[in-house]
Amino acid sequence: MSSELEREIGHDEFDPKGTLALITIYFLILVVLWIFMYFVEFVGNDLTVVGVIG
Amino acid sequence: MNIHTYEKFWLAASMVLIVGFILTITYGAVGLGIAMIDDSSPTVDPDNLDEHPGFADPGVEQVGENEYEVHVIAVQFAYFPNEIVVPADSTVTFHVTSEDVIHSFSVVGTNANTMVIPGEVASLTVETDDPGEYGILCNEYCGVGHHDMEARLVVVPQDEFELEVE
Repeated sequence: MSSELEREIGHDEFDPKGTLALITIYFLILVVLWIFMYFVEFVGNDLTVVGVIG
Repeated sequence: MNIHTYEKFWLAASMVLIVGFILTITYGAVGLGIAMIDDSSPTVDPDNLDEHPGFADPGVEQVGENEYEVHVIAVQFAYFPNEIVVPADSTVTFHVTSEDVIHSFSVVGTNANTMVIPGEVASLTVETDDPGEYGILCNEYCGVGHHDMEARLVVVPQDEFELEVE
C-alpha cells in the first residue's frame, strides 16, 4: 500500500489550476449573462416604466 | 490567517460581481430613469369612479407638449377604454384603477406591467418610441372571464395622432 507520503508540499505550493480555470469561466459566464439579461432583455424591452425615485 | 492566493482571487471576484450588480441597478435607476410602480398616487372610491375627475371619463388626454395621461378602469372582464391610442415619441402616464377585484395591467412583451387594486391608483409612465401595437392583458386571475380580459395599446405616428384628435 502506498500510504507513505510521496511528496509533501506547502500551503502556497498547492495550485489547483483546473479549479481556477473552471471558476474563471463560470465568472465570465455570469458577467456575460448578467449584461445580456439587464441591458438586452430588460432595458431593450420597451415600454419601460420611467420616473423619479421617491 | 493563511488564505490561499486563489481563494483570495475567488473572494475578490465574487465581491466585484456583487458590486457590479449594484452598480448596474443604480445606473438603471439614476442614468436610465427606470422606476418602480408604488402606492404614492391618491386613493379613489371604487364605487364612485364616475365622480372622479380623471376616471369619470377614462381615456387619453394631452397634458403637455408630447405628454399624455391615460385613465384606465379595469373591471370584470374588460378595460375602459378598450383601445388606447397614443402618439409615438411621447411620454405617456397611465393611471389605472379597478372597480371590483384585483386585476393587472400588462402591456404584453414589455416592462410596463402593474397590479390594479380597487381603491388604489397604479400610475406608470412610459416613453413611446416607434409606432406599433401592443396587447394589454390581465395577469391576475380575476374570475371566470379572466382569459377574455384584454385591450389594445396603439402607438401611432405623431402626425396621424393629430388627425384622430380632430
